[in-house]
Amino acid sequence: MDLSRRTDNVPTLEVKHLSRFFGGVAAVNNVSIAFTPQRITALIGPNGAGKTTLFNLIGGYIAPTSGAILLGTGDLTTRKPWEIARLGIGRLFQDVRVFGKLTTLENIVVAFPNQVGEMFWQPIFQRAQMMKMERPNIERAQALLEFVTLADKANTVAENLSFGQQKLLAIARLLAMDAKILLLDEPASGVHPAVLDSVMDLMSRLVDQGKTIIFIEHNISVVLELAHWVYVLDDSEVVAFGLPDEVIHDRVTREAYLGV
Amino acid sequence: MNYLLHILVMIGIYLILTQSLNLVMGYTGLLSVCHAAFYGIGAYASTLLMTSWGVNFFVALIASIVISMLLSFVVSIPTLRLRGDYFVLGTLGFQAIIFGIMYNWISFTRGPYGIPGIPSPSLFGFVFDSPSSYVSLTTAFALLTVGFVYLITSSQFGRVLKTIREDEIASQAIGKDPLFFKTTSFALGAGVAAIAGSLYAGYMRYIDPTSFTIAESLFLITILAIGGSGNIKGPIVGTVILVVLPEVLRFLQIPDTVAPNIRMMLYALALILLVIYRPRGLAGEYGFE
Ligand SMILES: Nc1ncnc2c1ncn2[C@@H]1O[C@H](COP(=O)(O)OP(=O)(O)OP(=O)(O)O)[C@@H](O)[C@H]1O
Ligand SMILES: [Mg+2]
Repeated sequence: MDLSRRTDNVPTLEVKHLSRFFGGVAAVNNVSIAFTPQRITALIGPNGAGKTTLFNLIGGYIAPTSGAILLGTGDLTTRKPWEIARLGIGRLFQDVRVFGKLTTLENIVVAFPNQVGEMFWQPIFQRAQMMKMERPNIERAQALLEFVTLADKANTVAENLSFGQQKLLAIARLLAMDAKILLLDEPASGVHPAVLDSVMDLMSRLVDQGKTIIFIEHNISVVLELAHWVYVLDDSEVVAFGLPDEVIHDRVTREAYLGV
Repeated sequence: MNYLLHILVMIGIYLILTQSLNLVMGYTGLLSVCHAAFYGIGAYASTLLMTSWGVNFFVALIASIVISMLLSFVVSIPTLRLRGDYFVLGTLGFQAIIFGIMYNWISFTRGPYGIPGIPSPSLFGFVFDSPSSYVSLTTAFALLTVGFVYLITSSQFGRVLKTIREDEIASQAIGKDPLFFKTTSFALGAGVAAIAGSLYAGYMRYIDPTSFTIAESLFLITILAIGGSGNIKGPIVGTVILVVLPEVLRFLQIPDTVAPNIRMMLYALALILLVIYRPRGLAGEYGFE
């Protein structure tokens, strides 16, 4: 895998009048956003604003009450999570979700798409071909681990990594599945300051390579440093959007979000 | 001598049962309490094909694998798309239904009377009717099963099964369809269990429903809990220990009236100690929560 390659022709991810109600209460209400390809968009807002729910809707984990989710000209609204993942939309969960008992390396290798050996008869009838693919896959996985500064942890069982290292691993897993659009739910929170620098550096390198990044973040300085564009969600609705420093110094945002 | 061969035959049959359950529980993380039902389906399907239709054992064996796999979809397709607990309940119901058919549908299965006079397996004129020849047969199938489970799990297929066991949502997030892999794994487990059933029928030459009860399903789960699962060696360790243990008790000349009780107490004690000190079993990778 050429990690310095740029991705071209990235379709725009767009949500249109998207709503989701839980028992009559809106978690996401009439949200319309077109996420600019190959840029970093931040979603900010207080706890319970609906940010994670928006990611769950885009990822297909919950169905919208109304509205649509589009990728370029394709409609994702009724797609299953694994179909959406295969279309190049990767997700970093707020609670990370690495595969605990697999090694760091296995966590990456398993995410490579279209492997010979994924269907149960292939390890028996196409074993030679499978083994031939296995070696380059392991090398690619090593390179990805290096890219996210985890090269020395290849054989560590993932549950034994620190929380921050698990986030780096989960991001590397998104790269292994060749996601073009990355939905990162609080990539900086709960991370040791040294690892935080790795995470932020990684995000800017990824966008330089042509990835589209959408991230949820509470840490305002991280947003100011990384984001090209910001949306503020409050109480299930988009209440403001714009350039990071404008939005963050905006009166409405400060009332809604920063409470000052 | 024959006694030793008998134990070896039973170890072979139980290795097939536990390795197939290992695929379902240890690798895929699916708690199934109907593995003995597939064992019974294998035994009854082979037996009925041999006794009523005169089919050769090895042909009947293959047919019983197919029948068992097809019946696995009756459980997996409706319940696997729901939450995990529904699957467990589905396997419980399936176990009860299959036992009910074996026990109550007398015109078809002879119910509690069982089916006697099952022919010994024969291949190109060679009849597996002595203990020593049967050991070679069960050992060959046990090795085939261990090899099969090893081959399919040491691959991307095996890795994907483990991701489903570890975190089904994250597995979807990397583009894997859990329903497909869970259904496949469960069907493969059912098919392999049918091999054990066919071998058991051809060995005992008599079957009745009491060999295929929910208690038997729980016994298989106990073997995995004690030996461990999610790798190849755990079920081997568990099988050898739990098949040999009753014979050791017999050897110690503990009277038959108390031996089963002592056995149950030893299992319980072993399970308690393992839960405390080794939740992954003696040699397993995956621990039951
Ligand atoms: N599955 C669900 N069932 C019921 N209510 C839900 C569900 N998921 C989310 N909610 C509700 O929707 C609202 C939005 O939740 P969400 O997790 O999207 O917030 P968030 O913006 O991500 O907050 P945080 O910053 O704390 O992560 C909350 O009131 C939450 O309780
Ligand atoms: Mg959230």
